[in-house]
Amino acid sequence: MSRRQFDNWLRATIASVRVVLRKVFKPLVVVAGVSVVVAGCATNAPQDTWQPKGPNSKLIDDLQQPVFAVAGIIGLIVAVAVIYTMIKYRDRGQPIPEQIHGKPALEITLTVIPALILAVVSVFTFGAIFKLAKTDDTQMIINVTGQQWWWEYDYPAQNEFGITQPIITSGQLVMPVGTKVLLRETSRDVIHSYWIPALNGKRDAVPGRVHTLRLEADKPGIYAGQCTEFCGLSHANMRMEAVALSKEDFAKWVANQQAPYVAPAKETLAQQGEEVFLNQCVRCHQVNGLMRADGTPAIAAPDENVWSGAAPNLSHLMSRNTFAGAMFDLLSKQCRDEVWNAPSEVVGAKYLAGVTEECLNQKDLRAWLRNAPEVKPMYANPADLAVSNGKYRGMPYLALSEDDITKLVAYLITLK
Amino acid sequence: MAIIERPAPTLPAIVTPTTTYGVLKRPVSATGWRSWVFTVDHKKLGIMYGATAMFFFIVGGVEALLIRLQLAAPNGKVLNADLYNQMFTMHATTMVFLFVMPMAAGFANYFVPLQIGARDVAFPRLNAFGFWAFLFGGIFLNMAWFLGGAADGGWFMYAPNSGPVFSPTNGVDFWALGLQITGIASLTGAINLIITVLNMRAPGMSLMRMPIFTWMITVVQFLLLFAVPVITVALFLLSFQRNFGAQFFDVAAGADPLLWQHLFWIFGHPEVYILILPSFGIVSEVLPVFSRKPLFGYPFVVFSGAAIGFVGWGVWAHHMFASGLGPVSVAVFSLTTMAIAVPTGVKIINWTLTMWGGKLWFTTAMKFAIGLIVLFTVGGLSGVTHAVAPSDTQQTDTYYIVAHFHYVLFGGAVLGIFSGFYYWWPKVFGKMLNEKLGSWNFWLMVIGLNLTFGPMHILGLQGQPRRMYQWTEARAGEGFFNFAFWNLVASIGSFILAVGILLFLINVVITARNPQKAPLDPWNARSLEWMTTNPPKEHNFDVIPTVHHLDDFFHQKYEEDATTHIMTQVRTAEEIMAEQERNAEKHIHMPSPSYWPIVLAFGLPVITFGLIYSHLISVIGGVIVLFAAYGWALESSTAPDSDFENNSPGSGLDKVTANHD
Repeated sequence: MSRRQFDNWLRATIASVRVVLRKVFKPLVVVAGVSVVVAGCATNAPQDTWQPKGPNSKLIDDLQQPVFAVAGIIGLIVAVAVIYTMIKYRDRGQPIPEQIHGKPALEITLTVIPALILAVVSVFTFGAIFKLAKTDDTQMIINVTGQQWWWEYDYPAQNEFGITQPIITSGQLVMPVGTKVLLRETSRDVIHSYWIPALNGKRDAVPGRVHTLRLEADKPGIYAGQCTEFCGLSHANMRMEAVALSKEDFAKWVANQQAPYVAPAKETLAQQGEEVFLNQCVRCHQVNGLMRADGTPAIAAPDENVWSGAAPNLSHLMSRNTFAGAMFDLLSKQCRDEVWNAPSEVVGAKYLAGVTEECLNQKDLRAWLRNAPEVKPMYANPADLAVSNGKYRGMPYLALSEDDITKLVAYLITLK
Repeated sequence: MAIIERPAPTLPAIVTPTTTYGVLKRPVSATGWRSWVFTVDHKKLGIMYGATAMFFFIVGGVEALLIRLQLAAPNGKVLNADLYNQMFTMHATTMVFLFVMPMAAGFANYFVPLQIGARDVAFPRLNAFGFWAFLFGGIFLNMAWFLGGAADGGWFMYAPNSGPVFSPTNGVDFWALGLQITGIASLTGAINLIITVLNMRAPGMSLMRMPIFTWMITVVQFLLLFAVPVITVALFLLSFQRNFGAQFFDVAAGADPLLWQHLFWIFGHPEVYILILPSFGIVSEVLPVFSRKPLFGYPFVVFSGAAIGFVGWGVWAHHMFASGLGPVSVAVFSLTTMAIAVPTGVKIINWTLTMWGGKLWFTTAMKFAIGLIVLFTVGGLSGVTHAVAPSDTQQTDTYYIVAHFHYVLFGGAVLGIFSGFYYWWPKVFGKMLNEKLGSWNFWLMVIGLNLTFGPMHILGLQGQPRRMYQWTEARAGEGFFNFAFWNLVASIGSFILAVGILLFLINVVITARNPQKAPLDPWNARSLEWMTTNPPKEHNFDVIPTVHHLDDFFHQKYEEDATTHIMTQVRTAEEIMAEQERNAEKHIHMPSPSYWPIVLAFGLPVITFGLIYSHLISVIGGVIVLFAAYGWALESSTAPDSDFENNSPGSGLDKVTANHD
């Protein structure tokens, strides 16, 4: 190839690349960008991984957005290159081409370029990995334990937050905003995974091990999550929420959780419900401060009945918005929407209001009490428990009468 | 040994032993079902592998459609939780172990001996045994559906969820033991093909003149050779835990459940390359043929394939970034995972540059190959986004991962397999698949797969986790493009995909009924498998070719002008064929069929069945295996003369006689 031929060839190539860029690449970028970002996505998806609401998730997002962009551009370049080649070199009766076996210099260049891009990405990745693994700046610790199919939260005594005695709750993780919370995760049966996408990536809860996960929320709000390690029959129903409250609201929440038990007034339906609870539910479910008729404390023994050895502690149940592994709402649809859609300034107050009688989701709660395994798949058929030494995985069918259910609901609503 | 002789035999062949010490003589049928069941012919076994794998592809596909029906709308009611968990477990298990792997084994069986100019594999009976072990293993795995429920722990079968308490049916037992049987099939196949490639290449075929498909298959066989023992160990631990009360993964006894994850993924990640590299090999054959150019940077493609084979062992923990490994391990595996993207990217570049400057012929095979380049790239790039470990902690176990590996495995492995179907169909069956139907087949599959798996990127990034038998509107977001929309699109896409695959099956039927024969060299191909008849003769080549170039067949047909570099055709495929037939070798020794491979393979599921139900049955299975091994070891290498009467094969040229004088 002579010098002039080469120049012409170069000019033609550049011109055609320009045409491709202008005619194909630019609209493609615009169309792809618009369709993915604007049209392609649900608005307000509660578990959106691209909407960080705290510094840990923000760190991940800042790291991944350029990677997505570079990956997208490389993908477009490959697609355009392939399509351009297909058009330019389609069979138009040209002779069989020279049998070129390769150009080592070109190949080495095209190997080194992606290697360099990845080297740059890996430097930033390393930084993020170690930042996300830090534990020495922790301000608050919450122990999180997974079991089929719900999460338990155990707040060890931490005087600086007013937690003078351990708080045990489930379903919803309540935490103060602007505080570096460290979750210490483990499991009582199979592997689960704790994931609140708005606040951080996921971390597996593995039996026999304790794994840590940093959480911090910038603003008060309710952040949705879901167990993400396949954990058996009701994996799909093992949900959770992180509720971030302002520091003042969090103090109120702590105070409420530590408030003593208030027995229902005598001669009420609720008091009859307490009796039903003492006859049935207390075998597995603890309510702190609940006394038996003979004046002894009612201590639950889930380890005798449940394979994982635990059942949700129901003290102050109505301060939560969900039950049964956050599968069902304790709030009716309308009241739930009011809390979830509240602006961050008032979400704390709405949440702390708890579940009032008018807001209680009677339908799902009654269905649950009537026949729990029917509304949530669980291993609770007494005929199939030989392999687990007669212990249930999940809540069994209790054969409660409608009357008992009414009494129980009346009692549960008093657990503010 | 049965010897296929030319009309004028001169020299006697010398074979021992001459009498059988086994119980049965060797089978002699050259036609009918016996000629298939007792065959040791690598081509027949290749077809049998392919047909069986295709059957399991349909089974796995129906499972996939049921999954998509269940997820088409929130709170799906098509399957209950238990059945759904079995469905996704068996969908993955079937597609990985019973479709892609054996389909690749089918291609390898059929074409590796042809591509290296050999007449069969090194151990023909072992080859037959491998097929039967795979078939019986696959049937055994699926028997669980009818015996109390299939495995329900996911194909990754994480401990302790796979333990006897958490998965009380026999499903996991069938799964673990069934995979042991298919593992034996993979191991024997790997050893056989490695030895075949290393020892039985035609004269002149140095390793760097070996067709790229054979190269990739060789890399895969080494991966299998080292990866299958790891899963074998893991499955033994699991079976011992379930069936004999061992405590390898029992936390209460001090075990660490992460042991299983490490074992599984040390197998599982090389397995990914076991699935994809055969298809890389296929498109690396197809692209040069239909570009009329050699593969660009052949040594780069070979060495990048080998590099993937090595580095593939150092990336397993990227499946465990959320498992709590600690930052140092995570950083190391993040780096190695990015490193493996480089040799993979090299292949994309080389394929594109193979087409660059070519004379492109867009046959269906070529379309599938180009489809692979583009769609595999999508999967590769989404893979890079989760090589970034912190980003992976947001993505892992969501539909984003499902999207990623379906672009890799469907957009990569499966499109490569379909490219191979259209390219090699005339070679295997002597007839051309219909190109027009092929085009519909291609476009429906590509549209279907993008509609099915494309939206899963969005679903995953917006927080829909995997392996959930139902998804809830509470997490679905608002607006028109919420989860309901994309899940519905994915479900519709899966049925378009299914119609595309159905068109392939229709194409097969139409082609089979079409009397028109394929030309000898329909694609103007480049490698040795095209230097014989369609379908090939039982002994593959009349003359073992002597190889002088990479793409030797092309260089026999074309010569290059030294100054102008213009390629001129000097000979046609027909002329080369005629010359071979003129110079046909007088004595061609082909291995005799045998009863024992199928009998020995049948003993295996009997043993494993007994491990689940009654050890007495295991003893019976063991006796079958021992008996078959005895027969295998001591059968004579050929049947006596008298057995061969009226048993000549169809080919007019060849006459099968017994010869042990």
